Amino acid sequence: MNTARFLLWAVTAAAPLGAQWLNYPTPGIPRLPDGKPNLSAPAPRTADDKPDLSGLWEPMGEASSSFAGASARDAKFQDISLEMKGGLPLQPWAADLVKARRAANNKDDPDSHCQPLGPIKMHLHPYPRKMIQMPGLLVILFERDTAYRQIFTDGRPLPVDPQPSFNGYSTAKWEGDTLVVATNGIRDGTWLDVSGTPLTDAARVIERFRRPSFGRLEIDITVDDSKAYTKPWSIHVNQSLAADTDMLEFVCLENERDVRHLVGK
Amino acid sequence: MVSLAIAASRPAAAQWLNYQTAGIPRTADGRPNLNAPAPRTRDGKPDLSGMWAWEDNRPCPAEGCPDAKVGQEFINIGWSLKGGLPYQPWAAALVKQRSAANSKDDPQSRCLPRGALRILTDGLYKKIIQAPGLLVILTERNATYRQIFTDGRPLPDDANPSWNGYSSGKWEGDTLVVQTIGFRDDMWLDSSGSPLTSEAKVTERFRRPNFGKLEVEITVDDSKAYTKPWTIKLSQPLVTDTELLDYICLENERDSPHFVAK
Repeated sequence: MNTARFLLWAVTAAAPLGAQWLNYPTPGIPRLPDGKPNLSAPAPRTADDKPDLSGLWEPMGEASSSFAGASARDAKFQDISLEMKGGLPLQPWAADLVKARRAANNKDDPDSHCQPLGPIKMHLHPYPRKMIQMPGLLVILFERDTAYRQIFTDGRPLPVDPQPSFNGYSTAKWEGDTLVVATNGIRDGTWLDVSGTPLTDAARVIERFRRPSFGRLEIDITVDDSKAYTKPWSIHVNQSLAADTDMLEFVCLENERDVRHLVGK
Repeated sequence: MVSLAIAASRPAAAQWLNYQTAGIPRTADGRPNLNAPAPRTRDGKPDLSGMWAWEDNRPCPAEGCPDAKVGQEFINIGWSLKGGLPYQPWAAALVKQRSAANSKDDPQSRCLPRGALRILTDGLYKKIIQAPGLLVILTERNATYRQIFTDGRPLPDDANPSWNGYSSGKWEGDTLVVQTIGFRDDMWLDSSGSPLTSEAKVTERFRRPNFGKLEVEITVDDSKAYTKPWTIKLSQPLVTDTELLDYICLENERDSPHFVAK
């Protein structure tokens, strides 16, 4: 199934072999006597005593996927509903849309056309991302297309009439050791996964970030989008710290030769 | 220049853009005091963090100013140099050829990255985030970033060729001195097509002489394309009480079929 997508994925997912400059030891990581990162150590904390989410993160391998070419690491990137009993509560038109997208080999996935992925699909992307937690601002840098996302933590409210954008507008506040991020203003027509799961401009998204240990990041994502879904739904994402490496520059459009080969059935 | 004009157009300011930037010294009437001293980080270094614009140094043509203005350096990075850039003969011929072709093959017109230096000279806002061990530059254009490591690491011997190169910076007094290698071989430094090759070593000296001003002195040492190293200086104003907007070049992109040479 989905041969075009598989081919594209196989091509875009090919990462260069590690080079010496990638192996620079990440500063500030607790280490075991043998020098290996101690990923079970407590999570670091910032000067104002909040958990520090900063670090380089990768999705943890978990469920398997029915998608050709999918690995454990990108299973939810392929199908966000993978662990959902009964599947997504799609509105009828949205269910039809997913069916139509799948019938067309998902050839119109914005990802396949080098468009930005939006905040949720970015969490599921198998490439690494770096979180930088500053006073008043959390930034996520993504390897994919050297894209970033800003999450304001300076107490500002969500905008009443945001500019529709791929990332939307995100503000956050701490509830204990959990950073609760609210987002609106995501543009209509967003794909949440390779399967074509939709998101509309009616969506309000809540993400709850936790760092239970040095080496682990957990994100609970709740999507409230009454245009596309009959009720809100949630997924859980686990990520692990990637130590002693860094992101590579991956520019989707560079020498791009795939799009012309994307065809529906 | 069609692509430049379209690519650089900005939406009008909206309400949510006007949220006051935190931590800015203000005069009695509430306006930002841009002459205040530069902020400093916990370790006593100047804090370059902030949102920065470009120098408005390009006179408007007789028919009036365009909506989207760019600085001189974006058009010709060596415009301030007496005698212009010291091109090697092949590089001079290449620039002439690119110019004759209306610069239609400029990678940025095809939505490819602008690279480490052009994000400093373009006519869009950028946000500098100075974290411990890392300086990040966020750009509006394609919502991309550049990393500059400030954790003391050496430059690599054999960097992966990339648009941003590999950058490592250290403080010399109040100046952040950034060295970069590992560029691709086919970069454009400006819309005129001034080249940068994989031989290039770039040194940038970042200073923040006061709250409202960023100075970047850029020295390009690229013996493959230039007969000698050359240096330019950027002076850029702080932008306050606004935010970066996502500008995705490839979104509804309809320009490239219309690119033609003269």
